[in-house]
Amino acid sequence: MESLSLLLGGFANALSPVNLLWAFLGVLLGTAVGVLPGMGSAMAVALLLPVTFRMDPTAAFILFAGVYYGGMFGGSTTSILLNTPGQASSIATTYEGHKMALGGRAAQALGTAVIGSFIASIVGTLIVALFSPPMVALALQFGPGEYFALTVFSFVAIAAVVSGSALRGIAALLIGLLIGMVGIDGQSGAARFDFGLPVMLDGIDIIVVTVGLLALAEVLYVVSRGNAAPDLKAIKTGAPWLSRRDMRRSAGPWVRGTALGSAFGPIPGSGAEIPTFLSLGLERKLAARREQRGGEPSEFGKGAIEGVAGPEAANNSSAAGTLVPLLGLGLPTSATAAIMLAAFQQYGMQPGPVLFERNADLVWTLLASLFIGSTLLLILNLPFAPLWAKLLKLPKPYLYAGITVCSVLAVYAINSSIAHLVMAVGVAVLGFGMRHFGVPVAPALIGVVLGPIAETELRRALAASSGDPSILVGSGISIGLYVLVLAAAAFPVLSAVRRARARKAEQNAAEPEETPVA
Amino acid sequence: MMSERTAATAEATAGADPAAEGAAPGAGVPAPAAAPEAAGGSPGGAAPAAPAAEAGVAAADAGAPAAPDPETTPWTGRSAWVFPAVTAAFGLLGLSGLATIETPPHAASPGPTVFPAVVGALLLVLAACMAVVNVRVARRGPSAAPPLPPVEWRPTLIVLAALVAATALLQALGWLLTGALLFWAVAYAFGARDHLRDAVVALAMSAAVQVGFSLGLGLSLPGGVLELMLP
Repeated sequence: MESLSLLLGGFANALSPVNLLWAFLGVLLGTAVGVLPGMGSAMAVALLLPVTFRMDPTAAFILFAGVYYGGMFGGSTTSILLNTPGQASSIATTYEGHKMALGGRAAQALGTAVIGSFIASIVGTLIVALFSPPMVALALQFGPGEYFALTVFSFVAIAAVVSGSALRGIAALLIGLLIGMVGIDGQSGAARFDFGLPVMLDGIDIIVVTVGLLALAEVLYVVSRGNAAPDLKAIKTGAPWLSRRDMRRSAGPWVRGTALGSAFGPIPGSGAEIPTFLSLGLERKLAARREQRGGEPSEFGKGAIEGVAGPEAANNSSAAGTLVPLLGLGLPTSATAAIMLAAFQQYGMQPGPVLFERNADLVWTLLASLFIGSTLLLILNLPFAPLWAKLLKLPKPYLYAGITVCSVLAVYAINSSIAHLVMAVGVAVLGFGMRHFGVPVAPALIGVVLGPIAETELRRALAASSGDPSILVGSGISIGLYVLVLAAAAFPVLSAVRRARARKAEQNAAEPEETPVA
Repeated sequence: MMSERTAATAEATAGADPAAEGAAPGAGVPAPAAAPEAAGGSPGGAAPAAPAAEAGVAAADAGAPAAPDPETTPWTGRSAWVFPAVTAAFGLLGLSGLATIETPPHAASPGPTVFPAVVGALLLVLAACMAVVNVRVARRGPSAAPPLPPVEWRPTLIVLAALVAATALLQALGWLLTGALLFWAVAYAFGARDHLRDAVVALAMSAAVQVGFSLGLGLSLPGGVLELMLP
């Protein structure tokens, strides 16, 4: 209970009219930047960080928290409305979210995203505030072998979004892995696939890949379809509020998404991508089971609200979770966390095991700011969800021209470098090809994000054991993860057997066998 | 095991695509792929093999959507060979790392060339599997399955050209003009024909970004020629 009183102290520091104004401004600016296609929370925080340097730490953290949550919500907004996610962690939202928007339920998708984000960030931040020390202890248990097991697990998790041929999904993943290998190899220092160009030594920035593969490729894909592409303008934005049915169907996914995000967030390197995809897969399975049992039919593939509520909650609670390694170990585990680390250092704070003792007041103020930021996000953006949905009413040429200009700007803003633009155009052409030929893009992106971690940790593990592969299954954590991998792989095979049997039974007798799938 | 998964995949394909009602030939599509893929997966170690298994599975799960999904549409015609070729090219690139990557003398045991080579080899295997699938689809003759939607090349190339031009001109022309040009060209490709209004909107948009980001957020956008002309 000591932490609770400390948290209240943080609130006392953070809650003042001026600070509330900063939080308000932060949410507004963050949403405004995040809602630009191709830009998400990392970009919003990076762009606004210099502004905070002139402020006192408390006000800076408040502004920061607002920008962070605003940016994250803004990134999800574009995933839902335009199918152009601003960050890797909102990709899972695009699958059902954009379909909801196309079906005239854009405002509901945004609404469930806002409420889900709010619940998840409150719960996630509360967990961080109350259980940081044991979570740090757990995170410290993760050696190279465990990290590698975790990445294998996440490669399996993305299968939730591969709807067609397994061949194409795996090809996309491997191409992503290869793109992730460009640049200096962290283990040996060797330059890989740099084609003799110095700019390639830093690798291909994740923003370049996200913008190229998702935003610009989307523009190219839509223009290539001509009149066959769905007309966003004809979409009805629909009733602005969530119906009771929407709320009821969102509640479960919110809770489950929050749980998944909180579980994976603190593990360094897992990022928000894994829990969002896990949540999407889980909700899809649960909906299918509900349908089997005679409940409401599953709407997955047609715009299921569960497919937005779950991943969005997972995204936000894992974002709160990334604070655990950041504050407890000084280990930034996402782009945003890395920028936050820079902000800490600006104020002479060194995150790490002693931070909670040395800078306790600032830490608790930061945690309190996160609560304030997410509350303001809810207050500001829930009423405005229908307004954002009006974005779809812009004339199509201007909408996509705007997306293109913003994407180019986002890429250029990384480093004020033309070379990044060249890479982004190249990646966009690849992404367009993948979209056109029906090759899923998400596995490629996951490959780029997690491939380097997987490779580094595997090689580090093997180096530590001088080549003995048994280190990979040397702990309970990694064995547990591999068991999950095997279970995840075996499960659908079993359900396929059941389904085949059910089909046989259907052919023999007229009545289908009552077997729940998955 | 393998045959059951294949059956499930086939079922999913048939279910997803009412047009391909002749489920029997459709069922054959993923089948040849699965076998060599599993064989090729073993040298790759755990990482690539695991998603292979699971991805096969996801295909089995995705029976629900009724709308034509490009991800479940088999490739036909000459363009069917484009993506296998791209996959093979990436595979060769990965393998070429064996020759182009200079391993430092004291690098630890799995050196920097191992992973690119493994991924490259797997990509070549996948490309071969895709080729087998293509041949099977082609042998089936003109099928009931709908082809991929045609690409409208003209507007697509205009957007692409605009992107390339913007990349090339940004430093020289400056953001204001480049951004406006890009906006105008993309809007044109999407069918905007009110040139004057388009130009005004484009300039306004570009200027708003310049003001917002340069003045508001301190991001330096190149001024280009305008910087030279204005004091």
